[in-house]
Amino acid sequence: MAGVVLETLSNKKLLILSFSLAIILTVFFLIGGIVAPSPNSVMDTLTVKCYDKDNGWHLNNMKPFTPRGKDSCKYIDSFNDEEIELKKIDANEIVFSQLLPLPKEGIDLDMSRWFQNLIAVMDVNVEYDEDNPYPENNKPEMLIEAKLFYRDKEDDESDWKLLAESSEQRTLDCTIEPERRRKGNLYTCELISLFELGSVHYDYYLINIRLPIDPRNTMNRIGKLADMHVIAIFQNGGFTKVWFSMKTVLFPMVLVVLVWFWRRVQTQGRSTNLTERTIFALGIILSIMNCPIEWLTLAVNMPYMMLLNDIRDGAFYAMLLSFWIIFVGEHMMDQVDRNRLMAYWKHLTVVILGCLALFIFEMCERGRQLVNPFFSIWSSEIGGAAAFGFIITAGIAACIYFLFLCYLVFRVFRNISLKRTSLLHMSTLRRKYYSGLIFRFKFLMIVTLLCAALTVIFFIIGQLSEGQWKWGDIDVSLEYTSAFLTGVYGMWNVYVIAILCLYAPSHKKFTTETDDTDTNSREEEVQLTQLPSEASTLTSFITKQSAD
Amino acid sequence: MKQSHWICMVYGLVIFYISLLSVDGVRWMALAQVSSLAHMSDEDSCEQLAGLVKRQKKLCKRHLELMDSVRAGAQMAIEECQSQFKYRRWNCSTENDKQFGNVIMKQGTREAAFVHSISSAGVAHAVTRACSSGQLRKCGCDRTLRGRSQENFEWSGCSDNIAYGIAFSKVFVDARERGKKRRNKPRSVMNLHNNEAGRRAIEDNMRIECKCHGVSGSCEMKTCWKAMPIFSTVGTILKDKFDGATEVKPHDSSELVPLNPQFKPHTDQDLVYMEASPDFCEADPKTGSRGTHGRFCNKTSKAIDGCELMCCGRGFTTRQVKVMERCKCKFHWCCSVKCKTCERTIDEHICI
Repeated sequence: MAGVVLETLSNKKLLILSFSLAIILTVFFLIGGIVAPSPNSVMDTLTVKCYDKDNGWHLNNMKPFTPRGKDSCKYIDSFNDEEIELKKIDANEIVFSQLLPLPKEGIDLDMSRWFQNLIAVMDVNVEYDEDNPYPENNKPEMLIEAKLFYRDKEDDESDWKLLAESSEQRTLDCTIEPERRRKGNLYTCELISLFELGSVHYDYYLINIRLPIDPRNTMNRIGKLADMHVIAIFQNGGFTKVWFSMKTVLFPMVLVVLVWFWRRVQTQGRSTNLTERTIFALGIILSIMNCPIEWLTLAVNMPYMMLLNDIRDGAFYAMLLSFWIIFVGEHMMDQVDRNRLMAYWKHLTVVILGCLALFIFEMCERGRQLVNPFFSIWSSEIGGAAAFGFIITAGIAACIYFLFLCYLVFRVFRNISLKRTSLLHMSTLRRKYYSGLIFRFKFLMIVTLLCAALTVIFFIIGQLSEGQWKWGDIDVSLEYTSAFLTGVYGMWNVYVIAILCLYAPSHKKFTTETDDTDTNSREEEVQLTQLPSEASTLTSFITKQSAD
Repeated sequence: MKQSHWICMVYGLVIFYISLLSVDGVRWMALAQVSSLAHMSDEDSCEQLAGLVKRQKKLCKRHLELMDSVRAGAQMAIEECQSQFKYRRWNCSTENDKQFGNVIMKQGTREAAFVHSISSAGVAHAVTRACSSGQLRKCGCDRTLRGRSQENFEWSGCSDNIAYGIAFSKVFVDARERGKKRRNKPRSVMNLHNNEAGRRAIEDNMRIECKCHGVSGSCEMKTCWKAMPIFSTVGTILKDKFDGATEVKPHDSSELVPLNPQFKPHTDQDLVYMEASPDFCEADPKTGSRGTHGRFCNKTSKAIDGCELMCCGRGFTTRQVKVMERCKCKFHWCCSVKCKTCERTIDEHICI
């Protein structure tokens, strides 16, 4: 009576189902690997060294310094030019400028709203110079005065509008090997984050950076600067299109299955149990994550989209973690009647604590960036320590969570093996039936582990391949990182759909199957109906056995 | 009126320098001497650049805006060559362009190999640099172009600029060796190999940099790119290749094999040469050697910059000179530095 679909499914059907889910999964993986381009593109730009002759930077109506085009600034090619000596150009009169995107093939390319986000980092090239050395003993502080302007295609070429401006402090961390200490060689410097935009709403972006020198402080004493690169990273339009399509297809699919599931639960004519409610919540949160509201970014400027997506992702993973704990706990097969959320407060607190830490960190970093895109929590010492603290907290919470989960799973399997011996006292048909149940329960456990393991393995391979530049370099037609992202996204969707289908209450009655006229059968059924809390007959069965 | 006058002057200069060069060699490098080609505004100007072969003139017309980068690349290559060979008997001096051209062309020496490689690297480097600064409009977006470039860019972004720089260097610098007369001559094969080795010195030494930008800035999402090495690093690498260059002989029309069969065959990154270098002790117009008379040397060194070796055993004179130097400077990250001028007496050793 209280059985779920999984238990009443024949092996053949189960095999067909898992096979077709595996095929769907492969399709997701291939969509990412073959159709989509790599998720992100890089524009490595060398900033143009504009000469701010009138020192106009601090004027309110300052004209932006454009590296090219009609109103391009006066610029110098290199800091070794004689011109600098001749004109007595000062460091305070240099403005590093770059206009995104760069022109290609004679066409003025423009940024697309499909790009979704734009991250810029600075690569500061410090040259080795004995007379003007980089202070290697104490990492120097940089004061970066930056302005970000935007313009649309229809606008006049000089009609730049200010998007953000800020004075930011960053630490420059450079090293050089002893054998490379020769004039003209470069230090190896850590990248410096410049800004992050949560939406690419406009066509052109103009970056102006100044590194002021003030005799009263020690800012920007960084040795001899050769060049400054600004590297812009954005999501590829092609990837965004594939991603949106995926979400648009998955959203109604999950929603239909979710409605079907809940209506089935409702028609059982009994109060819902915890497992069912948890599965329902998982489905709802997945639907929220799937909901393709990103389409709006093509029309409306939504810089908070990146933050919103992170929160939606985080909520889903928190729900998934909670679901595992509750699912395993409800299949514990001991005499304790849980069926209440309160029974899991210890485990859930850990999940909530970890997620809260990440959420606060996220709000501090990306939330703050909504106001000031140049902000970085890592740039200040206190901020960095706090951020590190949040991440450590989340890490510890994750460790405790996995210990909890492993312990619970271990107990379930121990209980199963203990109860298995009692199976021998039963009739053949019934034994076959119940061992089948245990098998199917284990089957889902294994699927869960497989999903988690696949995620981790793909992730590690992805990390290695990116770092070592093994793939994607020479004519590899498979975009591994995209395949990883779409594959994992599709996998967890398929996983939740499978749970919704297989753990929906079944209409089939067990009495029809237990046709051996054992006196036990009627008794058993009474037992089963007495415990509506237990979602699966397996647990009810074992509870009964141990009660005997 | 004034501008056209200026252009005339530039051409005058170009033609003057080019006439100084001998008939062949890496003559396009004469462009290095032209102060600026920024005024090259029409295709006719390409015709008048006598340093270029027909094919290069065609390329010049098609890629007019790139010629300034070619010039910058050639200049950079010569400067780097001179800095790498500052303390050697052959010091890459271009004071006498005729001899410089001779060294490069008339023999297939190590020095020639080095100049070929560094000049092709110089062009690739300069073009890449100009592309990344956005000063060139026609840099390529993708090696395999599908559709219009705006659509292409929107779908999957553009490839690194280095791909374009390397490709252009390959087409432009190698053009000379691919002419009908020169095709498959051993010397051409050698030059092409060394040109390629120069470009490989950049390509194989690109620095890989990565940025993590996943959920909450985690490394779930990581994007990597290649950053081009600074040119002096390329120069140092090629200097090492110069020191370990392989002497080769032609095997068949398009292949070179090490002269000594015991040696490991050279790789694509190695420099190869076919003739032993002269000792460069005495001036010899035939070999392009300028001799080491009057060169400065280091009295205490036992290496090639030491007076013993540099002066080829002829001995040296020492004189005391007063030099004015900038000292007690206050530096910033760039530009105007406040210095005092100090006077210092140093000993100069000069080869007889």
